[in-house]
Amino acid sequence: MDRHASAPDDVTPILEVEDLTVRYAPKLHPALDAVDHVSFSIRPGEFVGLIGESGSGKSTLGTAVLRLTERPGSITGGTIRFDGMDITSMSQEELRPYRWRDFSTVFQSSMNALNPVVRVEDQFRDAIELHSSRRGGEVVERIKELFDLVLIDHRFIRAYPHELSGGMKQRVNLALALANDPKFVLLDEPTTGLDVVVQRSILEGVRRLQAEQGFAVLFISHDIGTVMDLSDRILVMYAGRIVEEHDTDDLLREPLHPYTKGLLGSYGDPRQETVRITYVPGRPPDLSQPLQGCPFAPRCPERIDRCLTDAPPLVEMPTTRTEGAVTALRLDAAGTWRPPRAACHVALLQRTEPGTPGLPERTVRFAGPAFEKSVGETTEALRGEVLLDVADVTKVFSSRQGLRRRETLAVDGVSFQLRRGMVTALVGQSGSGKSTLARMITGVDRPTSGSITFHGRQGPVDVGTLGGSGLRGYRSLVQMVFQDPYSSLNPNKTLEYILSRPLRNHRQMGRAELGAAIDELLERVALTPARRYRSRHAFELSGGQRQRVVIARALAAEPELIIADEPISSLDVSIRAEVLDLLQRLVADSDVGILYITHDLLSARMLADDVVVLNQGRVAEHGIAIDVIRDPQDEYTRRLLDAIPNPFADIYKP
Amino acid sequence: MSENPSNPTPAPDVADLALAEAEQTDRIDHGPGWFRILWSSRKARAGIVLLGLYVLLAILAPVIAPYRGDDTSFAPVLLPGGEHLMGTTTQGADIFSQLIWGTRVSLVVGLFGGLFATAVGLVIGLTSGYFEGTWIDDVLSLLTNVALVVPTLPLIITLMAYSEVRSIWFTILIIGIISWAGAARSKRALMITLRHRDFVTAAKFAGDRTPTIIAREILPQMTSLVAAGFFGAATGAIGAEAGLSFLGLGNTESVSWGTMLYQAQLQGALAQGLWVWLLVPGLALSGLIMALTLINFGIDLISNPHLREDG
Repeated sequence: MDRHASAPDDVTPILEVEDLTVRYAPKLHPALDAVDHVSFSIRPGEFVGLIGESGSGKSTLGTAVLRLTERPGSITGGTIRFDGMDITSMSQEELRPYRWRDFSTVFQSSMNALNPVVRVEDQFRDAIELHSSRRGGEVVERIKELFDLVLIDHRFIRAYPHELSGGMKQRVNLALALANDPKFVLLDEPTTGLDVVVQRSILEGVRRLQAEQGFAVLFISHDIGTVMDLSDRILVMYAGRIVEEHDTDDLLREPLHPYTKGLLGSYGDPRQETVRITYVPGRPPDLSQPLQGCPFAPRCPERIDRCLTDAPPLVEMPTTRTEGAVTALRLDAAGTWRPPRAACHVALLQRTEPGTPGLPERTVRFAGPAFEKSVGETTEALRGEVLLDVADVTKVFSSRQGLRRRETLAVDGVSFQLRRGMVTALVGQSGSGKSTLARMITGVDRPTSGSITFHGRQGPVDVGTLGGSGLRGYRSLVQMVFQDPYSSLNPNKTLEYILSRPLRNHRQMGRAELGAAIDELLERVALTPARRYRSRHAFELSGGQRQRVVIARALAAEPELIIADEPISSLDVSIRAEVLDLLQRLVADSDVGILYITHDLLSARMLADDVVVLNQGRVAEHGIAIDVIRDPQDEYTRRLLDAIPNPFADIYKP
Repeated sequence: MSENPSNPTPAPDVADLALAEAEQTDRIDHGPGWFRILWSSRKARAGIVLLGLYVLLAILAPVIAPYRGDDTSFAPVLLPGGEHLMGTTTQGADIFSQLIWGTRVSLVVGLFGGLFATAVGLVIGLTSGYFEGTWIDDVLSLLTNVALVVPTLPLIITLMAYSEVRSIWFTILIIGIISWAGAARSKRALMITLRHRDFVTAAKFAGDRTPTIIAREILPQMTSLVAAGFFGAATGAIGAEAGLSFLGLGNTESVSWGTMLYQAQLQGALAQGLWVWLLVPGLALSGLIMALTLINFGIDLISNPHLREDG
């Protein structure tokens, strides 16, 4: 412990990263620095969040810190010190004794991280016996302890991984990561892909354990709300650099970097009078190209001239909290508080030279585009003619297991109506039957009993009895916006081809009309100027751009009903509002009806007029959106509302 | 700050941002084309060059070969040297000329046998995959499985032995018939995974009919697998032709490496000191098969980007 002697006023950080650069040098692509001169440190017992859009380098940084970087990536500069020990160039064999004992991890794809042919107990046994002197009964005792920590019944100790549910597997992984009382745990999107309610319970468990056991955590997630809820301190990453480092509470009060403001702007409390969510238009820079100036400048609403020419360094920033009280805080700074850092010319000038000409006003909100909805704009009553009538629909799936038949009731007596020019949200967690319902409405599946009637302009259609050509005709009236724009667009087709198919098939357009119609569709979904996008391939587009193409394709058929199945859940939070805004404008501009399927009540509040809450195949609650959200009658609806991350909850009380 | 009226860089409005986004999209790296990927692999490069040499030999056979392959008017059993680079056979044919002309047969068999087997495998695999779970799939899968387990060599020998014609096309037909099954299996499996992708469902919503969906959405995703299957099948076909000819079951009309081996073995080439006669067709055959296999290593890189970073 002598090494502490030189700095008695500070604790040795458990993890200290200095000037770290991780370079990807694939053979056939230009090289890029996915992590670019990054420095930060984590003190023992600290819970640090790392946020940023996908592609910002978060996971690359996480894997590099654990020395798990794989070809074509490599650490090309800087140092990583773990508990004072330089591990930057240690060999994998030298690292082995420390792994899982001193630092461990729960990966993004942890659902597959357990060996499917080995019992859970044996996987724990391996990890524990390798790093400790525990043997036999002691190991079992330890496993029981760990299972208690993550709230899983002891009978699952002897189970095989496939016998556990997704949420349980993830908790087992967490328990496994904690098996040897590590000093540091990296959580890389540990709950992405899990159900919201389950996600909530796991993360609350992590925080409780962390408080009890005192390990340090680096928590990586694109789900900024959750990170904010849990972390003591936040690192914001953009284009491979850290652009802001700030204590969570202070960050929420006074975010420094415009990008941080943009990320925070994507959250709101659905219960408030007026909900305003912002989005960051555009996409992150291509790191394989030389960058000039601040990497965020092209998307930044606050930029000044200097931003386009000089890259801002990451420097300590005086904030409202420090201004005037700097000395006091400095004296107090025995490792508990450190001044925030940010890489932004504007934020720095605003605080140091407020008179600089051309400097924008100081703001805590993102000054970019926003999507706003107040109670006044929200529907108070349902009007318009009924477009879709779902009456007492039930769906039973039966599967055969040997001689026995097993029946699963996926949808149970659901009835609701959807009106022209209105948005009905179908809300529920996974397994609530909302996707099954969507499949029946689109004619992919047939209801076991009950009826679905579509009242189109060409007369009523009984969807359940459609087949063959009837279904094809029906699909020109009902279109779909899929959840994942990465899988719903064929990556090798041009936008021109993708959009021409529905135009040709459903609207019988000839070659001559196609060009103009395609341009119009692209303009409508804000892919402008259209001519620059026509010959692009889907793989060249960002997630948000892709989803806009998916919406354009759905619009091409001029449908009367659009079914949007979680259209924003696979997008970065920073661009979600943009897609919502687009859908909202569609409803306003035409009399299309939208069935909006989601697990997220905030987006339902923003978009829907009418909400149907589904729980285990039944309608738990049904009513005007604003009533359901502000005054939920059902316990389940309340649970869904509580699961919405709301980092501002403690800061801005309504 | 507000007292200063001149704002040198106004905050970007939505149109500006859209333009910036379009510009960024313009700069996206398209990634290397398929040929660059293939060429980047040392193995595939060697394979392509080697195959190119064979193709050149076959095309230029009339120029390179000093005599016709079936010309038996020379003195028999001449040792290499002089007029005859590799000597002559016991029947008095020029070995070097036979070798060059034989290239044509092997390449033709490889090309058409490979194409035929690939086409049959593709059609059957795609159909049964698309109709997975229906009786069509049941019938086609049964057929595929039977074709997989039938012992091929005895089958070919029987078919060839009882056939009236012995042309090269008949050989190709027989080889195609026995070698499509493995390819059909893998195409079926891929079809099943691709069929449930969202973009296929999306194409249905866009009003496309099944044949269009298969041809425009699904098939292009399989290109590298189909190409790999073709090179595999071509390699098999070349080997099979040589094998059949060596057993005396090949076509009798033209000279191939297989018939050269057959004759050399039959006439006791080694005993007569004509080891070249036995050696060169074998070497040529191995060289061609190696070239095709090497190319397939490169094709693997196209379908699996992770492999590109290795050695």
